[in-house]
This record gives sequence, structure tokens and C-alpha cells, in this order.
Amino acid sequence: MTSYIVRRLFAVVPVMVVVALFVFFLLRFAPGDPAAIIAGDDATSEAIAAVRAKLGLDRPVVEQFAVWVWGLAHGDLGVSIFSNLAVTRLIAQRLEPTLALTLSTLIVTIALAIPIGVVAAWKARKLVDRLAMGFAVLGFAMPVFVLAYVLIYFFAVRWQLLPVQGYSPVAEGLWPFAQSLILPSVALGVTYMALIARITRASMLEVLQQDYIRTANAKGLATDRVLLLHALKNAAVPIVTVIGIGIALLISGVVITETVFNIPGLGRLTVDAVLKRDYPIVQGLILVFAAVKVVINLLIDISYAFLDPRIRY
Amino acid sequence: MSGILEVRDLHTQFDTLDGVVRAVDGLSFDLDRGETLGIVGESGCGKSVTALSILRLIPPETGRIASGSIRFEGEELTRLSEEAMKRLRGHRISMIFQEPMTSLNPVLTVGTQIAENVTRHLGVSKRAARERAHEMLDLVRIADARRRLDEYPHQLSGGMRQRVMIAMALSCDPQVLIADEPTTALDVTIQAQILDLMLDLKEKTGTAIVLITHDLGVVAETAQRVVVMYAGRRVEEAPVEALFDNPLHPYTRGLMAAIPRLDTDATRLQEIPGMVPLLTRPIVGCAFAARCPLATDRCRAEAPPVVDAGGGHTVACWEVTP
Repeated sequence: MTSYIVRRLFAVVPVMVVVALFVFFLLRFAPGDPAAIIAGDDATSEAIAAVRAKLGLDRPVVEQFAVWVWGLAHGDLGVSIFSNLAVTRLIAQRLEPTLALTLSTLIVTIALAIPIGVVAAWKARKLVDRLAMGFAVLGFAMPVFVLAYVLIYFFAVRWQLLPVQGYSPVAEGLWPFAQSLILPSVALGVTYMALIARITRASMLEVLQQDYIRTANAKGLATDRVLLLHALKNAAVPIVTVIGIGIALLISGVVITETVFNIPGLGRLTVDAVLKRDYPIVQGLILVFAAVKVVINLLIDISYAFLDPRIRY
Repeated sequence: MSGILEVRDLHTQFDTLDGVVRAVDGLSFDLDRGETLGIVGESGCGKSVTALSILRLIPPETGRIASGSIRFEGEELTRLSEEAMKRLRGHRISMIFQEPMTSLNPVLTVGTQIAENVTRHLGVSKRAARERAHEMLDLVRIADARRRLDEYPHQLSGGMRQRVMIAMALSCDPQVLIADEPTTALDVTIQAQILDLMLDLKEKTGTAIVLITHDLGVVAETAQRVVVMYAGRRVEEAPVEALFDNPLHPYTRGLMAAIPRLDTDATRLQEIPGMVPLLTRPIVGCAFAARCPLATDRCRAEAPPVVDAGGGHTVACWEVTP
């Protein structure tokens, strides 16, 4: 097991190299010239060339890449073209709201979706199941931004229970912090929750047909033990897989959610940087997101071995 | 001897797209304390459904016990609450299944699966339950039991898994063990070992066994009494010697003739012509009439009554009535 984890950790390196290559060259070949944008609408071609030279964008692409990779190796993601601040610092500043938003969404959705899926499978084709799955279809069909505005309209504008927008750092009090996260988490989490609940139900339904479940029932075990230990542990591999895929979904959802709720997190940073062609920031962010996904994939692969003793590496 | 389990006029039905299947159609039998009763019949004759009915494990979405009575130590199981039924399953009546490969949970250790039965029903500590699991693995003659407790089913052979199933089923000293084709999926040599083990444990614990099988050889070796089932009904019942010496029902005789023998020169086995009847329509007359060499018009019109042939031997047939 340990050797497997070590091997998997080493396998992360080539993946990240490919991601870095891809990110760098994709941006360089995308339309839009940052030098022209910085220099302004009325700038002469000389002015634009001067900006370009200052940013090093006039050098050969390969040289630019080498400089960037050299920086990366030293933990330096470069400097923002516009603000002249280190990208690592910009990202660190925006990390808290995004982390708070995704973690709270993750925890709440998983804590709700799995029990919903288990109960739906247990009471398959009964009323509870139909309600749960009806909700899941609705939740899955609802785009984040539509749901977000609906929630804002009712909970913030009409009933004034929660703030319309904005983010309150955890350092400024737990209750305002939690309040500022409720609506964004719901908006972001509903699709994700619907996905996990559906997969949990499908996976549980299949497992509940198995002979060993009949054995567990023939032993007279309590229903919760049959469902939550005997069945759920067998149903866990597809569920965990979807939770991992869902995290990728969540990252794109974060960009939209942070924009709608005006939360100063990584999502907003991404949108602003892309609009301004601030290459170093965009590169840094994509690398960070890619690293998060690679790590989550790794964790999921490792979790399989814990969930199913038949899986050996 | 006193009956510990009395099944009377049991009807178990399933809803299918083709209509209601009468899988068990008026079955009655008794099980005495400490005895081994064989229930024999072809695939689809309702043997396994009978077993599941006794434990009330018929999936409620598709099937039900339509009528009849199942009394266990005088208690009517068909009217017991589900909670009381759960207390009884695995504790006072337990069951082992045909497929040792799929009947154990692949993601839980053998020790966990035996011990959870013990903690559930005997209310002992986890440590005591684990000790009991260890003891049970020793009892079913699994070598190196201490180590095996922490292994998963996929690390064991088919025969060992069936031993684990037996250990699990007997861990709470049940009064009745229902064994549904316990050796069918195993190699012949392993079959003999498992049957020996079951009989040996029966002697030690006094558990009564309902042994469900299609294999008359297994019945001959293990059971004291045999019920022969056909199309959800009992066609003959007798002490095992009486059944083999003097099979009365044409169906039983057909089954006997289909057993390969080494002491004759016959080159071809005798098969029973035809197929088990469809159970989606009520069967008029004798269920076996369509395949029976002795069938008459009366057989096709009227169900034969169960007649006592003496010495505990009963048969339901118009033509062989003694």
C-alpha cells in the first residue's frame, strides 16, 4: 500500500508537467494581446512594443517558457502584469473564501446526498424515493446562476434573512461568516447533491439485490446495519468516484457562484485575470486547480483500496 | 418426538408479468426436535421459496405468503411483527445458502460477519463475540482460525466459505438450521466433508436441520425423513429407508430411476419426460399428471388426497393408493 502511494505520488510529476506545458502554450496562442490592453485603446504601436518588451513578451516563446518553469521550480508563479504583485500572494489572499465555500458545500452536500440516496434505494419506488428523485432531477437541471438569483430574491431581498452578496472572513466572527456562505453553498451544491444522491441510489439498488444482503437479513441484523455497513460499503466505490468527478464540477461552479455573490475568491480572480489577459495569474490558477484535481484523484484511488479489500495494487 | 416447526397448507405467491406464480401451493410438513428433514425436488419446485417463507424473507415487492400457517415452538410466524422476526432470524432459526461465493459480504472480514450475529442476538461484548467467532471457526474445522478471522471471503476457497457460513449460522445455537442446497456449488469431495461436518455439529448441538436439495444421494446420507415436492406441493413423505426401499409416487420413482447406478448394465439413464408445469395458472388435478405414465382422467380432474401408507409413509396419488 505504501509503495503504491509513493508510486502514485511520483506519477503526479509528469501529469503536472503536461498541464504546465498545455497551460503555457494554450494561453500564448489564444487571441488577444495583453500588451495592447495594458497600453490602452489609443496607444501607438511603439508604445505597445515597449510594454511588450518590458513584460518579456517579445522574447521567443521557448525562452519565456524556460523562465516561467525556472520560477515554478522555486515556488515562484510570476508577477501579475497589472498589479505587479506576486501571483502566489494574490492566490493566497483569495484562498480563504474559496476554500470556505467549497469545503462547506462539499461537507453539507455529501452529508445530505448519501442519506437521501440510501433511503431512496431502501424505499425504492415508494413515495420517499419518488420525491427524492424528483428533487434530484430538478436540482440537476437547474443552472447555478438561475438558482443563485432565485435564492437571493427570496432569502435576501424579500425576506431579508441573509445577506445579498459579499463575504465575511472567519476572523470577523463565525455567525456573519456562516451567513455569508449559506446561499452560495446552496446554489453551488444543489447540482452536486443531486448527482451524488442519484449515484448512491443506483449503486445501493444494485447492491441490495446481492446474495450477501439476503444473508445479512437472514441473520436478523438491524436494518441500519444492513443498509449502512453491509450495503453502503459495497456501494461506496462508484459513489466516491462521482464525488471526485463532482469536485471538478464544483471548481467551475465556484467561478460562477463567486461572481454572482460577489465573493472575493479564486473564482473571481480567475474571471478578472482572464478578461485582462493577465497570463501569470491565469497560469498560476490553472496550475493550482489542476494540482487540486490530481490530488483528489489520488485520494480517491487510495480510498478504493480501503473500501474494497479485493482491490490490490 | 415433538414438532418444533409445523408448516400447514402454506401458499407462497409471486407477482410476475405472466401472472401470479404459485411457487408453494398448499405445502404441509413437520420438523421434529433434533431431526434432519430432507426436502427434495427439481429446480423450481418451490424448495427454496419454502425456506425463505419460513424466515419471512420473501421480497415484499414481488411476493407474499398468501395463506397457511408456520408455527415455530408453538408461535405463529406468519403473524409475528417484523421486529420479532428479526430477533428470531439467525438466532433461533438460521439459514445457509447455496452460493458460498456470493453469500458472504466481500468487504467485511470473516470475523466481523460471524461476530455481528453474536453481538446482535446474544448481547455480549465485541471481545466475547470475537472469541465466539474464533471458537466457531475451530468448530467447523478451519485451520489457523485466529488468522482467518481477519481475512476477507475472497481469500478463502468455496468449501471454506461454506464452513464460515455454517459457523455463522450456528453461532447463536439455533434450534433450527435451514440449509438450502448447501453443497450444490461445491466439488464432490468437499460436498462430503461439508455434509459430514453438518451432521457432526447436529449431534453436538441438537439443532434440527431442514436440508433442501435436488440430490437424492445427499438425502440418503443425511436425512431421517424426506419430503418430496413437486410444483409447490408435497407428493410423498417417508422415513428415508422407506422412501428408498419402496418409493410410491410415480414422481419419486422417476427421480430414483434418474440416479446413475454402477450395479446394473443400463447404458442410458431413465429421465422423466416433459417439463415442470407452469405455475401461473391454478393446477387442476394432480400436478404431475401431465408427465405421469400412470395418469388417468381422474388424475387430471381431481387432486389426489394425501393417504397414509403406514409407518409414517404418506403419498398423494390416485393410482398407487395402498
